Amino acid sequence: MKHEIKKISRIVDELTTLFLKEDTNEVDFSIKILPEQTRITISAHATHFTEADVEQLKNILGAQRQYEVEEYYWQLAGECDDIDHELTLVGAMVDEATVEIKEGSLFIELIRYTK
Amino acid sequence: MIIKNKVVERELHKEQKLMILMVLPITLFFFGLFLGGPPSEMLAGLKKIMLSPTILVTDFLEVGGIGAAFMNVAVITFFNLFLLWRFKMRINGLLIAAVFTVAGFSFFGKNIFNILPIYFGGYLYSRYQKIPMRNTILVVMFATALAPIVSEISFAGILPAPYSLISGIAAGILVGFIISPLSAQMLKFHDGFNLYNIGFAAGIVGTVLTSVLRSLNVTITNMNTLYLAHHHTITLMLAMFFVYLMGVGLYINPAIPKSYRIILKYTGRSITDFTLLLGYGMTFFNMGLLGLAALAYITAVGGVVNGPVLAGIFTVVGFGAFGKHPKNCYPIVLGVILAALVIGYDLSSTGIIITVLFSTTIAPIAGTYGLGVGILAGALHMAILTNVGSTHGGINLYNNGFSGGIVAGFLVPILDAFKKGED
Repeated sequence: MKHEIKKISRIVDELTTLFLKEDTNEVDFSIKILPEQTRITISAHATHFTEADVEQLKNILGAQRQYEVEEYYWQLAGECDDIDHELTLVGAMVDEATVEIKEGSLFIELIRYTK
Repeated sequence: MIIKNKVVERELHKEQKLMILMVLPITLFFFGLFLGGPPSEMLAGLKKIMLSPTILVTDFLEVGGIGAAFMNVAVITFFNLFLLWRFKMRINGLLIAAVFTVAGFSFFGKNIFNILPIYFGGYLYSRYQKIPMRNTILVVMFATALAPIVSEISFAGILPAPYSLISGIAAGILVGFIISPLSAQMLKFHDGFNLYNIGFAAGIVGTVLTSVLRSLNVTITNMNTLYLAHHHTITLMLAMFFVYLMGVGLYINPAIPKSYRIILKYTGRSITDFTLLLGYGMTFFNMGLLGLAALAYITAVGGVVNGPVLAGIFTVVGFGAFGKHPKNCYPIVLGVILAALVIGYDLSSTGIIITVLFSTTIAPIAGTYGLGVGILAGALHMAILTNVGSTHGGINLYNNGFSGGIVAGFLVPILDAFKKGED
């Protein structure tokens, strides 16, 4: 897919901004690119997010992949630093999302199929 | 952190959402049929619409008559809804905005002939990039903003026939082919604060194409064909349609009267898809409410509901699904009205009414920075708008999107630089 690496970078950029601005000062990322999917895992340590926030994140990141929105708007991801977060866009760019709090840390796993 | 509110509403299937939208072309079709006179007259009107250069401002109500104009809109809207059904698209706020925008501009500028080459160009782009057409359909729908380039080259006598027709169609295909990468790139200029982003991209493309034509000594003459009679049946039909939208919204989500204020908290900056964030009930209700507000304003200033004004109303209503609500629109509108009064323009003229309506493209600026900045942005929009039209020679129908992009690209970095805060 065209600009695949840039798109993955922008998803990571958006989430890095979200967690560092809104939640914590320690975030780990892991990106694994496989032939048929890309797996992005994020751990925000000592999270302040509540279960209600997690529920919101689940709903918005787990929304249906929208290829037409991605094609039009992907360059907006990670662009704004303190006004709005483009989580709707991130949700439109991934196929599956798992969000949970474990031992005081927020874990997110995003899967983006490449075909 | 406001991300998404919990939405409790009646579940709708994709087909039901499409059927709710399908009421629009069905209404326009029968409205056109009843007011259009005999079929021969309507066909003659449609032919006139298709053979006109359609450059800004060419009001199809005046060119082809009410019946033919409404028929043109109905057919184009059916076509676009068919594409959404054919490509199995999730009916999101952006697609709703696209359908209403295309429908609105089919009253002045877009016709069955001049939009098709752009869709074909989009299809060729998707083949070239080896991506499904459904990925690009949204951008291509909006890209029909440049449809007048097809008609202008084909019918304005720039080239002898049949070269004019071939060149016009080729220009449309080229537009459809290049608009996807361009529109994505242009977003960064205004950071999503200009809702009619394609209007900005189309303004750039239009400026390039018009400059090439002018360098070849081609003169592009602006049009000023307007329908100027008051036709209260149109206003009544629109009011009923907007009440229908609000009714559908209330049926889907009966709690709206208590929860509507939630929508006012959103800045509207792209991407603010109300269907996803607040559900379809709230979205349809908001669209209907904005439509009624637009009609009330036009009635209050004594304006004529003609082709361009209908386009303005439909676009406001469409983007009621994707970023606009009364709270982020009114400061911009106020800014435009104040600027118009200071300059001495007539508020009831079609030019000022459509500027008021389309200026809400920068509603996210007011949604983010508040009333004062919103008024300033609206006034600035008015000033810039009157100067950018000549750069693209009127071939970009979303002229306000072009102007709005410049306003947002100019104001937002300055506002951010001087905003108090640690980062």
